[in-house]
Amino acid sequence: MTDFLNEVQRDAVTEIINIAIGQAASALSQLVDDEVRLSVPLVHFLTPGQAAARLDEETGGGESVAVRQTFHGRFNGDIMLIFPERRSLHLVRQMLGDDLPVDQLTELEQEALMEVGNIILNACLGSLANQLGMGVESSLPCYIRGRGGRILDNGERSGTDESEMVMFLHVDFAVRAKDVHGYLAFVMDITSAHHFVDAVHAYVMAQIGE
Amino acid sequence: MAVKKTVLLVDDSRVARMMTRKMIETDRPGWQVVEAATGEEALEVYSRVLPDFVIMDVNMPGMGGLEATKRLMGVYPQAVVTLLTANIQDPVRDQAEEMGVGFMSKPVRGDVLMAFLGVDEE
Repeated sequence: MTDFLNEVQRDAVTEIINIAIGQAASALSQLVDDEVRLSVPLVHFLTPGQAAARLDEETGGGESVAVRQTFHGRFNGDIMLIFPERRSLHLVRQMLGDDLPVDQLTELEQEALMEVGNIILNACLGSLANQLGMGVESSLPCYIRGRGGRILDNGERSGTDESEMVMFLHVDFAVRAKDVHGYLAFVMDITSAHHFVDAVHAYVMAQIGE
Repeated sequence: MAVKKTVLLVDDSRVARMMTRKMIETDRPGWQVVEAATGEEALEVYSRVLPDFVIMDVNMPGMGGLEATKRLMGVYPQAVVTLLTANIQDPVRDQAEEMGVGFMSKPVRGDVLMAFLGVDEE
């Protein structure tokens, strides 16, 4: 399902997302005081079922924890920060310090991940909004634990019909020395994805003077 | 001897308050830190404590940080306030400037936070 985007559009989306994810990585890097390594953003057009299966593949099929924010503007969708479950506590320890006892660390895990999500997802959304010169409103972060289907289910998408296809855009990130890795994903319905791609394409063309 | 000041931290995230409080307590030992988890609570705590500095999150349930700041500045125009937010969009920075308050993005760097907390010590 690659023909939703031509080569130039795909390149434009990848570039603008790269910059936005770079802002998010910079925020994460400050939180964990280490370099964050990023993969190249991948864009796929999938049914919600396929997107969930893809996420399960990438997280080893186990449960993950995620922070999700819904965003609205000229395009609407969900942005998610996803960690394989056993990795999330490492991140929380990085943020709050080694001197916290484990029981308190566990108690604070959910709130800490929501704050991480809040910072990282907003860094990414804010960069996108600033680059495109448009406002994006986002919900407060919500915390989800489960497999791919549960993480991606926002109550609006559930079908396997191609008419309900979503744009699934994701980036892997890793802080190797700190044993932290995860995924950042955008999901938009097709109408929003078209608006998004058009806005990105117009922006890039304006930047290069065409 | 440096004067001990009071800082009001406003954030719906307990973890965010913990992180900022730790930075303040480390770099400004002896300062008093008071907290509020909502915009509404921030207004109540401010009027009771009259802190020297206010560090205000933006996206919070109920009254958000922008509205709380606007109300606070309406009643206490001398208040020294900064937004501390993950919402880095330009319109939020612009609103901070219009209200005459600071803007800091999360995660805040120690030197940036301390520069704000030193604004009236020159």
